Amino acid sequence: MNKQSLQKSAASGLVFGIIVIFLALIGFTVVFSGLIQKVLGQSLGVGQIPRIGNFFIFLGFLGIWNGWRAARQDSHESLTLPKVLLRAFVAGLSAGVLVMVYAVVVGGLDARGVDMRTYLSMLSSDSIKFFLFNQSVAMGGLIHVGFSTLMAVVGGLLAFGSEKSQEQVKATRTKVQNWSQRTWLGKVQGNPYVSYVLMGVVLLLLVLLPRTWGAYWNYVMGTVGIYVLLGLGLNIIVGLSGQLVLGYVAFFAIGAYTFALTTSPEPHNLVWNFWIALAVSVVAAALSGVLIGLPILRLRGDYLAIVTLGFGEIIRILLKSDLLKDFTMGPRGVRNIAGPTLFGRSFTSDVDYMYIIILAVLLSVFLAKRWQESSIGRAWLSISQDETVAQATGVDTYKYKLLALSLGAAFAGLGGALFASRNQFTGPEDHALMVSINVLCLVIVGGMGSIPGIVLGAFVLKGLPEILRELESYRLLVFGALLVVMMIIRPEGLWPARRPKLERPVEPDQEPAAVAITVGGKQ
Amino acid sequence: MKTVLETRHVSKIFGGLVAVNKVDLVVPEGAIASIIGPNGAGKTTLFNCISGFYKPEIGQVLFNGESIHGMLTDKIAAKGIARTYQNIRLFKNMTAVENIMVGFEPHLEHGWVAAMLKTKGYQKEEKYIIKEASHLLHYVGLAGLGDHLALNLPYGAQRRLEIARALANQPKLLLLDEPTAGMNPQETDDMKNFIRHIRDDLGITIILIEHDMRVVMDISDQISVLDYGQKIAEGTPKEIQANPRVIEAYLGPGAAALSEKYRKEKTHDA
Repeated sequence: MNKQSLQKSAASGLVFGIIVIFLALIGFTVVFSGLIQKVLGQSLGVGQIPRIGNFFIFLGFLGIWNGWRAARQDSHESLTLPKVLLRAFVAGLSAGVLVMVYAVVVGGLDARGVDMRTYLSMLSSDSIKFFLFNQSVAMGGLIHVGFSTLMAVVGGLLAFGSEKSQEQVKATRTKVQNWSQRTWLGKVQGNPYVSYVLMGVVLLLLVLLPRTWGAYWNYVMGTVGIYVLLGLGLNIIVGLSGQLVLGYVAFFAIGAYTFALTTSPEPHNLVWNFWIALAVSVVAAALSGVLIGLPILRLRGDYLAIVTLGFGEIIRILLKSDLLKDFTMGPRGVRNIAGPTLFGRSFTSDVDYMYIIILAVLLSVFLAKRWQESSIGRAWLSISQDETVAQATGVDTYKYKLLALSLGAAFAGLGGALFASRNQFTGPEDHALMVSINVLCLVIVGGMGSIPGIVLGAFVLKGLPEILRELESYRLLVFGALLVVMMIIRPEGLWPARRPKLERPVEPDQEPAAVAITVGGKQ
Repeated sequence: MKTVLETRHVSKIFGGLVAVNKVDLVVPEGAIASIIGPNGAGKTTLFNCISGFYKPEIGQVLFNGESIHGMLTDKIAAKGIARTYQNIRLFKNMTAVENIMVGFEPHLEHGWVAAMLKTKGYQKEEKYIIKEASHLLHYVGLAGLGDHLALNLPYGAQRRLEIARALANQPKLLLLDEPTAGMNPQETDDMKNFIRHIRDDLGITIILIEHDMRVVMDISDQISVLDYGQKIAEGTPKEIQANPRVIEAYLGPGAAALSEKYRKEKTHDA
């Protein structure tokens, strides 16, 4: 047993201790224990302190994880029982002792009547007592040490067990694979009709779901759909052509405001038809992409990011300013934006909007796929890989970057117009920097350059926060942590892009004369 | 014979350093011309001046009698100058075939609207370049590796792929920057024969930067020697081997006399 591995265990234990202390400091321990209580089906009033047992479950989970991690330091070595136990014990003990020190300090201060809330708003006397399991300071600290160590050892044992059973798992997996290939499952895989059937099921769901799941989910999923549009557009700019544009929201705003100003009775009294206004918004956004791109696309990397960041903010501030108040209604925003009409009927219910957004998403996915898989997409990708070399290979980088920016902007314009129409309102604050950041996040989380990745990313980024609503104010914290974890586990994105297989076999007798003719001859 | 490339008094200055100093170079059509010289002599800088990466401060670069001074690199590539790089620069996350297909870019005729509508002409063009790219892949000896990502290919294959991508440009002049760097003798030999093939099969004029003297002496029609940015010698391989200034540039002052003495002693012994 070497000293180094024990040091490692102790260090990883200390990290877990720090995590526990951090979570306690921000009051997360109480909220999460409450959540566990709710999940277990027990009621919990607002502002009530949950039962201690749930805190044990929470701590136990962290402790097991701690022990597991400490036990499996190196994936190559084979584990032995005493090794595992010792490591987990050390890790659990060091985490527990650290937590105990914290508990004693905070508990002691609290016992002396110091109000910790002056410093950290979440450290009420109740939450400190909760952290000490409603015991005395010394007793609470000792329970922390004991429980942490115990759970770490359990975690270590679990790690040991899983290591030993791994081979069995592998054997079972190949057995299942063999079985599935022999039976009908093997025939289903790789059968082209299967994908048609799947597509049909998805289409059926897309038709049926908006009617059944209610206004709230239509709203949430409509937002997801609009973000899919934005993601597809930004994917062309960032994921394919590799230009880090941080002011993407500007095109969203231009689309939304073009639509708003052409369909609202105020301020211009242009009450255009929905579909015409929609097309005009898309074109306006695309044109603005060209106009902005002309001067700035000679910049690269960080400089481009900074300039476009500024551009996004300028648009928002302009929309808000007194200067354009008569034109854009200033900070009040534009109201009474028109809804869609067709053959004299208006479609303005949440279900109708959901259908329109679904149609827009399907159309955009189709177009984005076409471009991505074409020679245009190839040229974009080459620019993102090495711009200098792409140009020297004959790619007109300036033209292609401009094209990427304007096509990407067109998607944002479509998203913006639908967004404004659905809300019947748009104001400058709808177009803040966070939109750009969110869209960039969803492109990266989903997988750069991958269309299914974008769709998945939009669901995760815009749908997950809704699911996490139970966590109240810790929603964004957990969300951020999940994003970090996701990026650690899958750095290339949830659904990374794949390259197509294109090589065609060459008949030997055609060589090398054919090449000589085509390469030297087509001049 | 027709001149493909001519540089007139080309100079490139970085701050106070004159990296290339008034270099005149004339490359006739169908030749394999080599540029040699010690490290830091300005060989790659001269390449960069020809392919448009740098704009020379002084002088002119003429390609087929036409000045390409100050043109963007993509325009120069479309005119018919293709190049490879000293440190391999492929589009790493694209497949080998895709890398080559990018090389066809200057000759593509269909734009984004055609790609969106998948017009007949566009599909035909795509099919054509996929076929041609597969042919080129076969030609450089990488058949069957086309669907691997460029970064996953072995070193020698990456060098060949770079050449295939350059050939896809359908160039009249090919600039090869140390194509045999980091190769073992067998691979070097293959590459040497391959370069000769490119010239003989395809009639492409080649300018070569190379450190391996066996390669240079074997295949060059003409050798130019750079030292401290200046051209100090030019001629056939035989002339260069005997040139005292070249020997001194490589081995230091006084080396020419030593080598002369050594050669005499050797002949004397024999």
